[in-house]
Amino acid sequence: MTILCVRFQLPPMYEAALPGLLGLLEEFTPVVEALPPDGALADLRGAERYFGRGAAELAAVIRVRALALHGVDCVIGAGPGPTLARMALRDAGPGRMGEVPRDAVAEFLADKPVAALPGVGPATARTLCEYGLDTLGLVAAAPLSTLQRLIGAKAGRELRERASGVDRGRVVPNAVSRSLATERPFGHDELDTGRHRRALLSAAEELGTRLRALDKVCRTLTLTVRYADRSATTRSRTLKEPTAHSAALTRAAYDMYEALGLQRARVRVIALRAEGLDPAEHSSYQLTFDPLDDKARRIEEVADRARERFGPGAIVPGALAA
Amino acid sequence: MSGFTHLHTVSGFSLRYGASHPERLAEQASERGMDALALTDRDTLAGTVRFAKACEKAGVRPLFGTELAVEPPAAAEQGGRDGRGARRRTPVRGGAFIDESSPRVTFLARDGAAAWADLCRLVSAVHRGGEGPPVLPWEECAADGLAVLLGPASDVGRALTAGRPDRAARLLAPWRERFGDALRLEAVWHGRTGTGPGSLRLAARTVGFAAEQRLRPVLTNAVRYADPGQGPVADVLDAARRLVPIDPSGPLDTGERWLKDGAAMLDVAERVVEAAGFRRDTAHRLLEQTRATAAECLVDPQDDIGIGSVRFPEPGLVGAGRRTAQRVLASRAAAGMVLRGYDRRADARTYWERMHRELDIIAHHGYASYFLTVAQVVDDVRDLGIRVAARGSGAGSLVNHLIGIAHADPVEHRLLMERFLSTRRPVLPDIDVDVESARRLEVYRAIIDRFGEERVATVAMPETYRVRHAIRDVGAALSMDPADIDRIAKAFPHIRARDARAAMAELPELRAVAADAERHGRLWDLVEGLDALPRGVAMHPCGVLLSDASLLRRTPTVPTSGEGLPMSQFDKDDVEDLGLLKLDVLGVRMQSAMAHAVAEAERATGERIDLDAIPDGDEATYRLIRSTETLGCFQIESPGQRDLVGRLQPAAFHDLVVDISLFRPGPVAADMVRPFIEARHGRAPARYPHPDLREPLKETYGVVVFHEQVIDIVHLMTGCGRGEADRVRRGLSDPESQGRIRVWFAQAAAAKGYDAETIGRTWEIVEAFGSYGFCKAHAVAFAVPTYQSAWLKAHHPAAFYAGLLTHDPGMYPKRLLLADARRRGVPVLPLDVNRSAVAHRIELESESGKWGVRLALSDVHGISEPEAERIAAGQPYASLLDFWERARPSRPLATRLAQVGALDAFGANRRDLQLHLTELQRGARGARGPQLPLPGGRRTASAGLPDLDDAERLSAELGVLSMDTSRNLMDDHHAFLDELGVTSARRLRSARNGDTVLVAGAKAATQTPAIRSGRRIVFTTLDDGTGLVDLTFFEDSHEACAHTVFHSWLLLVRGVVQRRGPRSFSVIGTAAWNLADLVELRRDGGLEAVAPRLAEKGPAEQGTADAPPATGNDPGNGRRIRWETGYEMHPWADLSPPGERAATGRKLWHQSPGSAG
Repeated sequence: MTILCVRFQLPPMYEAALPGLLGLLEEFTPVVEALPPDGALADLRGAERYFGRGAAELAAVIRVRALALHGVDCVIGAGPGPTLARMALRDAGPGRMGEVPRDAVAEFLADKPVAALPGVGPATARTLCEYGLDTLGLVAAAPLSTLQRLIGAKAGRELRERASGVDRGRVVPNAVSRSLATERPFGHDELDTGRHRRALLSAAEELGTRLRALDKVCRTLTLTVRYADRSATTRSRTLKEPTAHSAALTRAAYDMYEALGLQRARVRVIALRAEGLDPAEHSSYQLTFDPLDDKARRIEEVADRARERFGPGAIVPGALAA
Repeated sequence: MSGFTHLHTVSGFSLRYGASHPERLAEQASERGMDALALTDRDTLAGTVRFAKACEKAGVRPLFGTELAVEPPAAAEQGGRDGRGARRRTPVRGGAFIDESSPRVTFLARDGAAAWADLCRLVSAVHRGGEGPPVLPWEECAADGLAVLLGPASDVGRALTAGRPDRAARLLAPWRERFGDALRLEAVWHGRTGTGPGSLRLAARTVGFAAEQRLRPVLTNAVRYADPGQGPVADVLDAARRLVPIDPSGPLDTGERWLKDGAAMLDVAERVVEAAGFRRDTAHRLLEQTRATAAECLVDPQDDIGIGSVRFPEPGLVGAGRRTAQRVLASRAAAGMVLRGYDRRADARTYWERMHRELDIIAHHGYASYFLTVAQVVDDVRDLGIRVAARGSGAGSLVNHLIGIAHADPVEHRLLMERFLSTRRPVLPDIDVDVESARRLEVYRAIIDRFGEERVATVAMPETYRVRHAIRDVGAALSMDPADIDRIAKAFPHIRARDARAAMAELPELRAVAADAERHGRLWDLVEGLDALPRGVAMHPCGVLLSDASLLRRTPTVPTSGEGLPMSQFDKDDVEDLGLLKLDVLGVRMQSAMAHAVAEAERATGERIDLDAIPDGDEATYRLIRSTETLGCFQIESPGQRDLVGRLQPAAFHDLVVDISLFRPGPVAADMVRPFIEARHGRAPARYPHPDLREPLKETYGVVVFHEQVIDIVHLMTGCGRGEADRVRRGLSDPESQGRIRVWFAQAAAAKGYDAETIGRTWEIVEAFGSYGFCKAHAVAFAVPTYQSAWLKAHHPAAFYAGLLTHDPGMYPKRLLLADARRRGVPVLPLDVNRSAVAHRIELESESGKWGVRLALSDVHGISEPEAERIAAGQPYASLLDFWERARPSRPLATRLAQVGALDAFGANRRDLQLHLTELQRGARGARGPQLPLPGGRRTASAGLPDLDDAERLSAELGVLSMDTSRNLMDDHHAFLDELGVTSARRLRSARNGDTVLVAGAKAATQTPAIRSGRRIVFTTLDDGTGLVDLTFFEDSHEACAHTVFHSWLLLVRGVVQRRGPRSFSVIGTAAWNLADLVELRRDGGLEAVAPRLAEKGPAEQGTADAPPATGNDPGNGRRIRWETGYEMHPWADLSPPGERAATGRKLWHQSPGSAG
């Protein structure tokens, strides 16, 4: 079993191209899992035998096709499991596949820093490094009970397993959990609340329009505020019901923003991300007796149609028109 | 018609608000034909003295006032404050806005001293609140002598802005009740639109409202800067004050708030009255009102503020109740004679005569209370058990010595009273007192207790914008990338902001910054615009004001932020002008260090050391000094001093006095060092211009070193008396008077029968000396602690290092002191929670039987005083659990302690301990389960984590303690350094003159002092574990080395050995590399990777290839700062060098992500 981890080198904000690229992978194997915004895992199971080529050759074919068909370059890592494939990707470059050989997994992992293991976030990595467990080899050698004392029972067990090269992950096709993102940069340090809110409004509008165009609804909205010193604050909110309704998204975004209570923070970028996308027909919609809500949705529908016809700038909220 | 008078003008003393210096304002006012100008700084009177002096020079009548935030009257508050006052949410990032919502009102002093006292009272009251923005409580807001201007920023003005004349009328009532006839409405037009402050409509409304209310309106320009075109600087100041960036779309300064001349203000007046619906010629009436208001403000800088007069504390407070102060002083001095046994000496007559002569001089000036005051302070300090010593020219007075202020006997050391005080010199003499730095605040409190709060205040010290802060503030205002700002700011040495561009053009290490200077365009203009503006006020580190009970009527005071001591808003020059008695109480860390050493020796060994009574001429002490291993010794530890001590080879106290005096820019400039040393070692005969001058010059082999000698020479050659001779000496530093003195000197000496050649030669010596010699009294006062500290180092090394490490007095980082201790065989004992105390202690090491230094808890990074005390109080601890429960350290602290091995006694390895600590904390937080977290009783069980390896331990020590306590940090690199063929500091001693060597080490200190040749020379000291290497970089190597030297911690340097004496040598650097980089290359790529780095040229060298070679080898472009005496200085010398300070260890190169902490 060989898993490929493909990362397409998409320019930012062009995630919309990902579905097409996934289709390309699906020509080789049906077992493809999207890793938004720009990557995918592909399980080559039968493909190697079917096409009569090794993983490296297939990777080359995929790259050439992606370039020829879509004009998008990609880097590819291969390994016996999804985690290892992802790690292999780090060693890869354009035209050079990273590969973890099946029989040298432990050697491959031993010298890697703990943070290189997918699933080990900065907090866990910091904890482990604090206790001198800064490479996966050391983690694998540490007593299980100690690891569990450090980061918890379940996480400790899993970490030790994966650090030892046991990769129980599977590529799960169709578990498409893509997301849509948009950001609004400012040309200088922006402190003005009014302008922040305008940026939020326009970002939420855009997300709503894009979601509705894809016939999707999102479950979670994430706000990221980036500051001049390159730090950022991130807040997520699960919506009351999955929706693509611009007004609902805007309200959630405003709420998150207000909760930050920013005053002197030097904001450079405001980014919104819609996560947990599901097809719109699967979503439920809580009906209300309030006719205004209904009206707003109908107006939105009309506005969408107008935009489809006259371009995205044809209809915008009044606050953004000025 | 005389010019317009600006009643509302702020200077740079309005912190981060005014953009011009008071001097500039006064000058411009005079130039633009005004004959009076008011200074109304925000919340401060700090600029008053400079302003008054500048006005006097410019021929402008000064008006004094201030602009204060006033709490709205209670009645108004009910209707006024809207309900929005609910607390806003605390921001998750960036902090809250600075609150500037209080209305502001301008006060002007009208009649005399009472009005000035009122101003002082109001300003003091504004700051009394302590924390939070300064606001004047309404009940304090009353004074008869003040005029009040209600402008756009006042509550009344705001109501008018809001279009509510009814509300304005209601708000006006309490003001009218308080101030009646002294109330004015202030109209301001800055060309803004709308109805806000500075708009024409508001100005018109104000004038109309004044007519309606039958109040007098005045016109001002609310001036913030002297010249047109400074608007952008005002914007930057606004941004810096409010801590926000400039909002390009927000309301910016209109550029109108400059000191407009009469014609321009007439224009403004006409526009305003027309807009208010009056006839155009009403403008003259508005101006007339303004002028009349100015005319009523009559405060005289001399009579009312007190510039030029002197006030001492009342004699009753210093022990002169019924008798006069002079009588008391005389009897105390006489008592001192008897006490010290001078009356029984053979030369008692000399002493008595000198005492009476000095007392006469003191009586002549009426300064007796002053001497008694200082004596009182010194007595009080000594009673507290605090080490105290007089320094400065005051040590030259026998009376000072007799009443206990100065230690050294001036007669024995041939010190002159005239250098300190003479009948010819009416200025207040200045006695400085050194105390232990750690107990300085105690001393201040004692002084306050003695004289009462109404007579004592500390002195302010304005911090002004220099280039680094200016870059940071302007960069932040312009929304530049913080990382960029930081990089640019750090690249600069600590120079004046206005030199920023000149420095970029001329200094080789700034070439990288200069290359993209264009990109930052506006930055540099604004940086230079901020030059020397005050940006904050701190307490002066040593000045204390002492006055009679009228102090608070003459100076506004604010509480200092940390200690809450009363602080005058005036700085040290101002208080001198104001005739307030300033006593300099310097906190000297060496005094604290010695006190600690003595206390430690007594605690551990029971032996009492009286430092003031140690025998003179101790051989072991001088042997130590001559060996130049004087690290940590007062005054003689710098590289230059170690070099000088090595050449001079002192053998007696007097040699130390000379040594200290020689190591000054002046003597170095006049090349007194070489002939002195030649003559001292008998290699050249001592020469005297005339046999008569043998007497004063004998002690220094014919070389003039001391001020006192010049005084004697002039006195002997001309017979003018020593008091006059001191005046002459002071005149030497001024080129104008120098010419006159020369003629006078020649005539007077010729009259005494000296021949022309002798006169010529003597004059040459006197002239070269300029004002750059050193006052011998100072030197004697300095040499005492020098000798004492060297004595301690020679006889009680462990206690000495404990004192040094605790109070950190020197120029070197602590880790260097530790290395020195190790080299001299003093065991360094690691931190241990069961043994370490709050401060460094000495402890008998059982193996060697030597006294060692036990490291202190207070050096642990981030430990608080209560925590350290709690840990020390709870000793001993039986187990980790015991320690955790009783000492209650915070977890980060406990972790750090574990990392440096302070918890090693509890078993397990350091990482396991860390884990246990984490779990203890979790246990403490959550519900404690039935199971004890620590099995195994006293010993801590192992958790199987990898222990810290050697590199990690070292890194932890550097990170936590800033010291490499277990071994020298260079030890790790020995193998690599051997490969490179680096010469160690120890082996370097046997290197020959002219050898080319490689040296390496951690940078310990970097200086660019002023040097005689007027060149900029970089001196660096490296520590490689075996000793110190002093490096010198001359200008020809700066192109290649300067940047590396300033910005690296670990250096590898190629250089040539230069020897000047058996113990005196240095290495002239020719190339420098960042050793940390090389070590990394070696580790990752082997020696092959190192080679190309050594082969490549430095970044600066590459830069020169395409840069125009205009600067050549002289980055100063031949520019020199010429002192009046002909002493030249490189324009960029004598500055703190760029980059961070020397390696302290906390920020070091090899903190790999996996290492401890």
